[in-house]
Amino acid sequence: MTDQPRQLKLNAFLHDTGHHEASWRHPDSSADRVGDISWYQELARKAEAAKLDAVFLADGPAHYGTGYRPSTQFEPITFLTALATATERIGLIATASTTFYEPYNLARLFGSLDRISGGRAGWNIVTTFSEDAAHNFGLTGVPSNEERYGRAEEFVEVVTRLWDSWEDDAEVVDKAAGVFADQARIHRIDHVGRHLRVRGPFNAPRSPQGRPVYVQAGSSNEGRAFAARNAEAIFTAHQTLGNAQAFYADIKAQARTFGRNPDHVLVLPGISPFIGDTPAEAKALYDEFNELTVAAYGVSQLEKIAGVSLGHLELDEAVPVSLFGGAGNVLDNNRSRKQVVANIVERDRPTLRQLLHRLAGGRGHNVVHGTPVQVADTIQEWFEGGAADGFNVMPPLYPQLLDAFTSKVVPILQDRGLFRTDYTGTTLREHYGLPRPGSLYAGTAAATA
Amino acid sequence: MTKQLVLNAFLMSTGHHEASWRLPEIDPFVEADVEYFQDLARLAERGRLDSVFFADGPGLWGPIEGVARRPPQVLEPTLLLAAMAVATERIGLIATATTTFDEPFNTARRFLTLDRISHGRAGWNVVTTADTSAGLNFGYAGNPTHAERYARAEEYLEVVLGLWGGWEEGATVGDKAAGVHTDPARVHALDHTGAHFRVRGPLNVGRSEQGHPVVVQAGSSPAGIELAAAYAEAVFTAQRTVEEGRDFYRRLKAATVAAGRDPDHLKILPGIVPILGGTVAEARAKERQLEELIILDHPLRQLAADIGIPADRIDLDGPLPTNIRPVEEIEGNRSRYELVVDFARRERLTVRQILQKLGGGRGHRTFVGTPEQVADDLELWFTTDAADGFNVMPAVLPSGLEEFVDGVVPLLQRRGLFREEYAGDTLRDHYGLPVPPSLAARAAASDRALVGA
Repeated sequence: MTDQPRQLKLNAFLHDTGHHEASWRHPDSSADRVGDISWYQELARKAEAAKLDAVFLADGPAHYGTGYRPSTQFEPITFLTALATATERIGLIATASTTFYEPYNLARLFGSLDRISGGRAGWNIVTTFSEDAAHNFGLTGVPSNEERYGRAEEFVEVVTRLWDSWEDDAEVVDKAAGVFADQARIHRIDHVGRHLRVRGPFNAPRSPQGRPVYVQAGSSNEGRAFAARNAEAIFTAHQTLGNAQAFYADIKAQARTFGRNPDHVLVLPGISPFIGDTPAEAKALYDEFNELTVAAYGVSQLEKIAGVSLGHLELDEAVPVSLFGGAGNVLDNNRSRKQVVANIVERDRPTLRQLLHRLAGGRGHNVVHGTPVQVADTIQEWFEGGAADGFNVMPPLYPQLLDAFTSKVVPILQDRGLFRTDYTGTTLREHYGLPRPGSLYAGTAAATA
Repeated sequence: MTKQLVLNAFLMSTGHHEASWRLPEIDPFVEADVEYFQDLARLAERGRLDSVFFADGPGLWGPIEGVARRPPQVLEPTLLLAAMAVATERIGLIATATTTFDEPFNTARRFLTLDRISHGRAGWNVVTTADTSAGLNFGYAGNPTHAERYARAEEYLEVVLGLWGGWEEGATVGDKAAGVHTDPARVHALDHTGAHFRVRGPLNVGRSEQGHPVVVQAGSSPAGIELAAAYAEAVFTAQRTVEEGRDFYRRLKAATVAAGRDPDHLKILPGIVPILGGTVAEARAKERQLEELIILDHPLRQLAADIGIPADRIDLDGPLPTNIRPVEEIEGNRSRYELVVDFARRERLTVRQILQKLGGGRGHRTFVGTPEQVADDLELWFTTDAADGFNVMPAVLPSGLEEFVDGVVPLLQRRGLFREEYAGDTLRDHYGLPVPPSLAARAAASDRALVGA
């Protein structure tokens, strides 16, 4: 095998009509199709035709509706299963909360997705900072960071052991002897911890990837530590190259201290590109979308992120820096998205209207506008500048701005040798350059027999 | 049109017979093969069947030794059905899910997502999970008792139905000019507070083409009947004789009326394991071949655990011992236990015969014969109020389903008992069930009724 130069990882982050909050109002939007699975199947096929690594769905178990934009959020693992059979190669990453699931149930869902897709599943592990979600699960408020991440650590341990509880060769399938599986190669996990107690074993053999790819999103102090220990890919939001570089260096260093290979912890910031043939055209497109926003919606979103009331502020009044006091910095914060917003306010001193427009495209993710070459340059600069191993691409409008990315930006990245021209593997682990983990229980059968 | 049979294909890896995977012509690895199941769904749809169905349990279903016995159900059924939904157009898709080991918000959401993906073809078979080891995977010291499970199930159903009913008809307005996608005044929180759950809602998935998934139930103990009468729109049940079937049918329909519901809106579907042959002798030979492939140790161990007598003290060629555990002490599947004991005593079976007979359908009725005889039998049950249709459980897949679709279905169609073409698009259309109104629409209707009165 020849030495392959380092390659970008690119996901298409799916989000009904597009990531811009007003995208559904755009005259070209496909708002009437967002309830139909065939719409998402088409998007997944487009992403696959461009050889992207994966499609991704965010999630939270609550209705976040205010009426101002599509608020239906299908259960993403079920949804990706329906996309799996419409595609062949592309990875399928769903978000699921360790706070509101039982590990045995979630292990079954992702194990099944990995099977059905032939080894293309990824689990974006989140702890869900949401009052609305807590109220759907018998809680009166969001558990503390410590509590949520404590449970998450244990949850990942349990799920990992369940997936490993059937050794890879446990299915012996001896028709003549009438033995389907070898019980000596199937293990109880006997987990007893502070949050969870799970005996096992799992009720299915190991899936094609052994374990789905572990993804993480949430860049608070606890989130980063959790990611450095457990994650194989990290979704994160950064507005500046400097912050992204600091984050990247921190994650890779922490991973090393846990004895992990930093190349097996991919950092993938979000990027939401408005693409035009000229810089002016791209900027006009960006402005056109922001004109369609409804301020009341943006304010409600911002209030959720900031945890403060903004009702007293005029749209053209400067946002007081003090509103975001104590948000910390990129490497020291309790709530990463609040910190991102605080950083914008501190650096750029925007009016409320300007801030709402900054957030309308990507809820704190990096929104860029430019020509295909400019977008490719930005991607290359972050990729080669120690800020990213790839990107979670968040088209403001589906499918038009995904099409613009795949037909205009991807070929430039391919010409520069930064991105694959065809898939070389069939699983998400292969696309991401991650090893297939062996079972923790491999070989223990002989010892206990 | 005369009353029509409901026919549901109950699918299970290589077939319901526990030894089916050992047949020489069978691929034993199909349990993880999504294309295999998509083909089965297409086959059932070709036969114009109402629906396909999967059982489920969040555990190994018995001791670890059981893994030797037969292929496990590898794929979680709502996900598997999502993959089957996009490979079919009409057939209903019913998955089992437990109320004991999940959260109602998660269940409501996953099933309504399946309903939306399939454009109104989903059903939820509500079970409380009799597997006495499942609880150990969910923080319990053992399984919760029968009574605890059913108390929780009822509240769970209330919450799920409440979440499904929270979005009003037409809540999605999509007014681009005004910037209003969904009318917030027509999406309602549930604000449920009960003994087991506190759930605010609303759900983040809106109504499907059939309103919400069909509610199915499959437990025939007194608590199961009570739950079914109040909530179920279809019931899967194991009945061994037509007389028992009629008795159960009468009791459940009466309980449904007593619960204030239209008895036609609850379909009673006993299980049947048809073993078909061109002649009776051919069918009998198939049954014998399967019986001979059963490794008796597996079901014997299970029977011993159920009846509370060590396996080595059970005489395979003697009758069922008399000093077995009384049914009241069973915390698992109570109705199935009772049925097996009655069956064994009535038919004067030896333990060996019991184990062989149960290998096909785990207590469900096996019928061995020609397509004509099976059609006669189904017609008898259907026309004498023992069944509204059947849960068809092929002993061997795919061949058993092919034989049923190609052999039995045309006979039923010729007799005017079963559709030749689908008349509708949703599972509710197939079953002849009404679309449930949202909670707000129901409240408005009852206000109108009060004003009218």
